[in-house]
Amino acid sequence: MSEAIRTHGLTKDYGAGRGLFDLDLEVRAGEVFGYLGPNGAGKTTTIRQLMGLAYPTRGSASIFGLDCHRQAVEVKRDVGYVPGEPPQFGGLRGREVIAYLGAMAGGVDQAHLKELVERLELDVSRRYREYSSGNKKKLLLVIAFMHQPRLLILDEPTSGLDPLNQQEFYTMVREARQRGGTVFLSSHVLSEVEHVCDRVGIIRAGRLVKVASLEDLHEIRLHRVEIEFAGDVPVEPIRRADGVDGVTIENHRVHCVVRGSFEPLMAAVAGAHVVNLSSHEPSLEDTFLEYYSEARTEAVASTC
Amino acid sequence: MLRNAFRLHRWGMIGYGVVLCVSTYVQAAAFIQVAGTSAAGRAAFAASMTALAGQLPYILPQPFRLDTLDGYVQWRSYGPLALVVMIWAIAAAAAAVRGDEDKQLVDYWLAARVSRARLVASRLAAFGLAALVAAVLGLLGYLAGAARYEQVNLSGAAGKVLTLWLLIVTLFALCYLIAQLMASIRGAQAAGTGVVVVLYLIDVLGRTNHSFDGLSWVSPFKWYDATTVLAPGGHLDAAGVGLSVALIVVAGVLSALAFAHRDVRGPLFALPPREVSPKDGAPSPLLSWPVARLLYRQRWIVAGWTLITAAMAVYMVGLAHTVVDSAINLPGMREFLTHGSGGDPYRGFIAAFWFGIAQLLLAGFAVHLVSGWASDDTEGILTSVLSMAVHRWGVIAERAAAALVGIAVVVAVGSVAAAAMAAGVGTTLDAAAVFRASWLLIPFALTYAAVGAAVSADFPRAAVGVLGVLAFLSFLVYELAPLLKWPAWAADLSVQQLYGTPFLTGVFWNGLWAMLAIVAVGFGLATLLMQRREVGQ
Repeated sequence: MSEAIRTHGLTKDYGAGRGLFDLDLEVRAGEVFGYLGPNGAGKTTTIRQLMGLAYPTRGSASIFGLDCHRQAVEVKRDVGYVPGEPPQFGGLRGREVIAYLGAMAGGVDQAHLKELVERLELDVSRRYREYSSGNKKKLLLVIAFMHQPRLLILDEPTSGLDPLNQQEFYTMVREARQRGGTVFLSSHVLSEVEHVCDRVGIIRAGRLVKVASLEDLHEIRLHRVEIEFAGDVPVEPIRRADGVDGVTIENHRVHCVVRGSFEPLMAAVAGAHVVNLSSHEPSLEDTFLEYYSEARTEAVASTC
Repeated sequence: MLRNAFRLHRWGMIGYGVVLCVSTYVQAAAFIQVAGTSAAGRAAFAASMTALAGQLPYILPQPFRLDTLDGYVQWRSYGPLALVVMIWAIAAAAAAVRGDEDKQLVDYWLAARVSRARLVASRLAAFGLAALVAAVLGLLGYLAGAARYEQVNLSGAAGKVLTLWLLIVTLFALCYLIAQLMASIRGAQAAGTGVVVVLYLIDVLGRTNHSFDGLSWVSPFKWYDATTVLAPGGHLDAAGVGLSVALIVVAGVLSALAFAHRDVRGPLFALPPREVSPKDGAPSPLLSWPVARLLYRQRWIVAGWTLITAAMAVYMVGLAHTVVDSAINLPGMREFLTHGSGGDPYRGFIAAFWFGIAQLLLAGFAVHLVSGWASDDTEGILTSVLSMAVHRWGVIAERAAAALVGIAVVVAVGSVAAAAMAAGVGTTLDAAAVFRASWLLIPFALTYAAVGAAVSADFPRAAVGVLGVLAFLSFLVYELAPLLKWPAWAADLSVQQLYGTPFLTGVFWNGLWAMLAIVAVGFGLATLLMQRREVGQ
């Protein structure tokens, strides 16, 4: 499988520790690659480098073997892009924005364009300024997909979309992959990348900390769980259960953190009378903080 | 809250303050030069100017004591300044209501527990403060210009400044109220402009026909004109002052009530949503072609400036006979109008006034084009364009070509209108001279566009401000250099100077080469800067 995106030591240093540092990344052609990180981690900075909109402090980036800066125009013939911040086209109608940018992109199949507009239920006769943020995002998706590019670079594409359109978007991504396309999708929502991605790159504080398959991602994922019992709490089985940490007990209520599968915890409470069980996924930021602080602590302990 | 609101008006305050200062200074300093120092000369000057005033009621108020410096400044400077500050009040009010809401500033203020009534009061007070600073700068200009020649009338000037300040705030308050009714900043600007222009025309009606004097008292412009306190024997019109204060208070209270009863970003009275036909707004084929697509996006700017230029051409050229006939006997005026015009004062008038105004209009058009380019950058459109297969140099080349076409259209229509009007009023113009003076307006306007392109390629947010200041300084140098007897090299710093007087004296070749060099360097530099800059941050 050839590579769609490759970066070597890509660095954009904004000073004061902000920016992107020494990014070595390879995205294979034909895969859906999730680029995951909390706000301010460097996702958009990476994408702006790939799109040739910003210049690296050092290092290089290439798309389909073409340098993202020196051959920016050739690169973009093969790329569809959704920016993180929607532009302001003011009084232009949706279909005028499509015609304006479509003529620059070239190779737009009108039948495919019509299908995209219908699938996303976008009213292109409205003026851009009348669009809600969700409709603006839909228009940007239409523009990114309209010329059926080999690579889609999507910066938080689902923010502002309602759940139905999010599902439609995931379908569009899967179809693009089936046609042989590559998708580079940035997000700060863990569950989103699980829906569609083959592999995931995790970036934090400007550095790529992990490139993982979906299976690996489950190790990172954690849930905060609260269980209420009618009688005695099976404290020891819960504390001994694999992947269960941070157990605290308050009367008949247990609070704990579950990493990975729920099976060990379910086995531990199997004999007890459970009145209520609730679980929620913390923010990605919290997940990262917990995961990496623990990983660092373990690493320090192992060196002592 | 007040400090934040005041900050939002600071650039308007500085810009209009400088305009007021320069206007009063120039007219005060020019009086001695055009009217002389003898009583007889000044009386003749006043008689001619009074005749001229009758021809220009749309621009100038009724004259009063034009034989004095103070009377002349009041008429020639403070009169037309009503039109200048009108633009500021309309734009500032629309921005203060709709602009703040579009930028979600109002959301933050309201979330910070600022009451709606306090927000309205703060916006009015902040603008009032900014307008006061600008009006006082106008006073300083008058003092600096007049003190060189005569004893200044400080109390009279303060009275005129008071009424100017009241006029600015009254118009702002009125437009602020109107903006509560509209749903968009453009709607607020358009409605504000409509109402204010109607009020201005009502005042003009009173100037031209005294039977409309009573009606004209509904106009704040009349309240402003009624105070003649700067001129000897003039008075401060208490009724005008009282009506201005009353209107400010009423408009402020109504604005607060309207704001309390509407949604943020919504109009006071919402119309039912319009059914949109699927065929509405089919994309223009122009959007598919380079240059044409940029012109299409800027079509209203081009159309607006074309109309304004054509209308001004018709108005100015149409006035040639009446103005020249009434002013020709002024001391020095015959020499001024016939110098270089082959003895024909009408040609001289058209050369001096029409092509002078055309330069100002085209400089304004160029600034407007540059503001569109800068907006493309700051609003993310440039990012969208560069995410397609488009060269960065292509963006600059497209801007240059679109500017060239747009400027050529404005110049061509304006010149055809001027020539047609001249023929209509029986003034014979040399077609070659009209053509020469017209096509030279193209490199003239492109000079501004090129400088704007270079600035907007690297500092888009500063482009309009920098270019506006540059255009203003260029105009200032052109006006002040002969008045203050500056050396030739200093005068040549003005783009107007580089344009020369082609209608009368042929092409100023050195000026033309200099303009073309600036155009080449400006767009070349824009290309280099665009090539190396980062976009979308």
